[in-house]
Amino acid sequence: MKRSIAAGVAVGAAVLLAVSACSSSKKGTGGGSASSGGGGAVTLSFVGADYGTGPANSTQKYWEGIASDFKAANPNITVNVQTINWNDFDNKVKTMVQNKQYPDVMEGDYFPDYAQSGLLYSAKDVTSPNTFSNLLSVFAKLNTYNGTQYGMPFTTSARTLFYNKKLFQQAGISSPPQTWDDVKADAAKVKALGKVGFGMPLGSEEAQAEALLWFLGNGGGYQDDNGDWTINSSQNAEALQFMAGMVKDGVTEPNPGTKNRTDLWKQFAQGQIGMINGSPALIPIIQEGGKLQASDWASVPIPGKSGPLDKTLGVCDNVSVFKTDTKKQDAVKKFLDFFYQDKYQVQFDKEYDLLPATNSAIKSLSSDTTFAPFLKALPNSVQYPNAPIWSTVKTQIQQQLGLAMTQDPQKILDNIQQTAKKGS
Amino acid sequence: MSETVARTRTEEIGPRRRRPARRLSYPRRAARALSPLLWIGPAIALIGVVVLWPVYVMFKTSFQRFTANGFNLGAAGWRNFTDLFDEPDLKSILVRTVVWVVVVVGVTMTISLGLAELFNQRFPGRRAARWALIAPWAASVLMTAFIFRWALDPQYGVINVFLHDVGVLKSFGSNQADWLGRPDSAFVWMMVVAIFVSLPFSTYALLAGLQTIPSELYEAARVDGASPWRTYRSITLPLLRPSFLVALLINVINVFNSFPIIWAMTRGGPGYETATSTVFMFQLKQAFIGESAAMSVLNFGLVIVVVLVFLKVTRWKDQVT
Amino acid sequence: MSTVVVTAPPTDISALPASKRRRPPTGRTVAISLAAYLVAIIFVLPYAGMIITALRPPAELQERGYVPRRWDWSNFTSIWKTGFGANLRVSLEIAGGATLLVLLVALPAAYYTARRKFRGRMLFLLLVLATQMFQPAAMLVGIQRQFVSYDLPSPTFSLILVNAGFNLAFAVWILNAYFSSIPSELEEAAMVDGTSRLGALSRITLPLALPGIVTALIFTFIGAWNEFIVALTLTNQPKEFPLTVAINNYVGQYSVDWGHLFAGSVIATIPVIILFAVIEGKVVGGLTAGSIK
Repeated sequence: MKRSIAAGVAVGAAVLLAVSACSSSKKGTGGGSASSGGGGAVTLSFVGADYGTGPANSTQKYWEGIASDFKAANPNITVNVQTINWNDFDNKVKTMVQNKQYPDVMEGDYFPDYAQSGLLYSAKDVTSPNTFSNLLSVFAKLNTYNGTQYGMPFTTSARTLFYNKKLFQQAGISSPPQTWDDVKADAAKVKALGKVGFGMPLGSEEAQAEALLWFLGNGGGYQDDNGDWTINSSQNAEALQFMAGMVKDGVTEPNPGTKNRTDLWKQFAQGQIGMINGSPALIPIIQEGGKLQASDWASVPIPGKSGPLDKTLGVCDNVSVFKTDTKKQDAVKKFLDFFYQDKYQVQFDKEYDLLPATNSAIKSLSSDTTFAPFLKALPNSVQYPNAPIWSTVKTQIQQQLGLAMTQDPQKILDNIQQTAKKGS
Repeated sequence: MSETVARTRTEEIGPRRRRPARRLSYPRRAARALSPLLWIGPAIALIGVVVLWPVYVMFKTSFQRFTANGFNLGAAGWRNFTDLFDEPDLKSILVRTVVWVVVVVGVTMTISLGLAELFNQRFPGRRAARWALIAPWAASVLMTAFIFRWALDPQYGVINVFLHDVGVLKSFGSNQADWLGRPDSAFVWMMVVAIFVSLPFSTYALLAGLQTIPSELYEAARVDGASPWRTYRSITLPLLRPSFLVALLINVINVFNSFPIIWAMTRGGPGYETATSTVFMFQLKQAFIGESAAMSVLNFGLVIVVVLVFLKVTRWKDQVT
Repeated sequence: MSTVVVTAPPTDISALPASKRRRPPTGRTVAISLAAYLVAIIFVLPYAGMIITALRPPAELQERGYVPRRWDWSNFTSIWKTGFGANLRVSLEIAGGATLLVLLVALPAAYYTARRKFRGRMLFLLLVLATQMFQPAAMLVGIQRQFVSYDLPSPTFSLILVNAGFNLAFAVWILNAYFSSIPSELEEAAMVDGTSRLGALSRITLPLALPGIVTALIFTFIGAWNEFIVALTLTNQPKEFPLTVAINNYVGQYSVDWGHLFAGSVIATIPVIILFAVIEGKVVGGLTAGSIK
């Protein structure tokens, strides 16, 4: 008797559990066509990257603020916000797409292969003409596939070399480096103080960025002006060899292939590193670290082989819109027009020390001393390739480039070049 | 014979153990033949859907081409497999996998023999001590891997702090302190973690096996004047064989398929220099889905080969009555 | 299959009357105790480290002391603001659902296989044994593509199925061993008395098989609770993540914020400890039967 009651309870509980599992956490707003239910109420799912350094300044808050303002202005449109940290961003988004759980709006990295697969709306389809023409045109080519622009720049940044003035003083270095040889010599002097001379992140978070900065220094790059792949050019291999030399001399942190930018930036903020390539986003990290005063660090153009670079890596994070449900197109357009307003762009840039992506926002910030030098470099920036195969190539670079510090750089570059040629 | 604790009143059971044979009608007989399905049907269905079908899908996928985000571009023939075997790192990954399995399982089983023997003895606080042994199993492998990753941090990890205090570590942030940055030392530490998390299951399996050995045998050996080592070799080990073999096989399969430890501690990097074949499969999946499926097929084949060899070598058929 | 089950090891000291236990410890016992305590400490040490770090104030996380200068509970409170409660609920759903499903499916299958020699019995047992060799990690690509192509209600649902399927073999194996060891005469005797087969099952067989059931239950629950790679692959949004995936998220995001990561891990371990406390003692008994063929 007791046992059959127990059995009955067990069966009942199992059924309840199954039902609750089915009904809760439904397919979610990602890709679910049921979300644009009756009465014109629409739910949009938004996935963005997290630019914050901790729960206090997580980008989740920024977007949730916009979402609630937007809801106040458009009561029948709800936006669900999700942010992903950069280490996992590529992985997570790829998995989402593989699982066919498309977000409606995505901010972060732009994947040209999504355009190739017909998953995205063109930029003109989801913005009003005013908003569209306000977007920075220098990044238009990056976001174009087959003649149509799909991605919209959301925030940009230019890379410069950050160095620790206090350590330089202690090491007896009078001026910041201008050439590769300067960098090596200065790094050795800082190393003598017991600190890391040059922070070189070649781990899987952003190896493609650090590598490109060195390639540019030798006149190399990922593609030439015609859009042909030049990954395994001799200039690139030379650059890697120089970097490997620095690693062998011990003037960088040990085992750069396993170190990521986030960790090294935090170490720089703790005063443990002499030089590191950074963007304005490093500034709040330095401030949070509490160890370096504003006078203890400065930023200069990145040294190239024979002189400072006049081109820099212009990184642009983009908004792309997935074609999940044509009924949502209007709502999406309203949302994009809403969050591209100057006040939100400026709020974002001030919080994370990144650069805006609209002409009007640039104008309002051009008088700000922190931003002015970076804003000047923007028009001249070099960007990542916009070929659909780039997303695969980038993954391979992230996984393998660090090995060039201990293995033959030319072979590694040849490998990656092969993958790039296969796709295009 | 069989010795159980029976809680019911047992009376003499009469000779009538079966219902008298009756001639069943056809529908009845059909129902009879099909009735096993009622009992084992759900199990077969569940296994079929969750375990067997994905195997088929996996094989199918390995012969198809995909974009990096999962779109099926059609048939690929054997290309995924040729791409896989052209990978320059494949050989070292396979070698590393063998090392991983052999060392981790070998050390685990050896230590488990000792630990099981130890925890089979009578001593105060034995139950609490046995409970401590379960900790790694309850805490999840992922968590344990993170703990070790934190403990090995070059700047402030507690293991480095300790080594610094005893003078072994010269300076923080150095290459020496960067255990997880150097592929060789990273791999050794990951094997240590793998052994650590495999010990609870193996020890308990062997402990259970030890407890089935009747104490009379030990008594008899003592009376005969056998040394402890002789007793162990001639009585314990042979009788422990079934449990040992089961634990060994399960460990081999688990360790071969192990993923969280390497993923949490090094992500298989730098490059693929700390990856085993399972981790490599996952890394490939991020951009090369077809090739990843081919790697899965290869892994799958390896597991089957290992199991078959194992069954052959241990003459499993003779063990199972 | 003839099996031998010894449920109470005759050498167990707790079976002896108290009077026999009060003998002074021998040198051998002392040595053994110390060795065992040392081993126990080694096993617990990493988790003690985890708890201590979870109690560090965020500002002290990069410092090089063994214990924090100030004990701080804030990690345990601030973690709930990151949506951790939803992750906890998802884990409970997956592990609970998988365990129930396994028991519902394995009990009849194991019972029938133990009692009847039906056609295909050996084949079924072989199938079960074979699937015990398969692991989700090995078939991840297949699992992902398959479950994506079905129109299932949620990743939680898929994960319940996957975890149940992969733990089924072990449960059937253990329960089969237990049921085989319980002579059918006992059931027959009860039925002679007039109880139905179901009644005999539930009042006689199940209680005797309880250690086996409990063992299958806890193995499945813990297996599903701590499962990582399939959950990582099949879930997409934070509110779908079980605890393992949520905790892994903390590493990338706040790369040196071990405080939150470990606080989350401690919270994730608590239900497992509760489960152990509830079924304590039966596990070893369960394993005893399972290892004999």
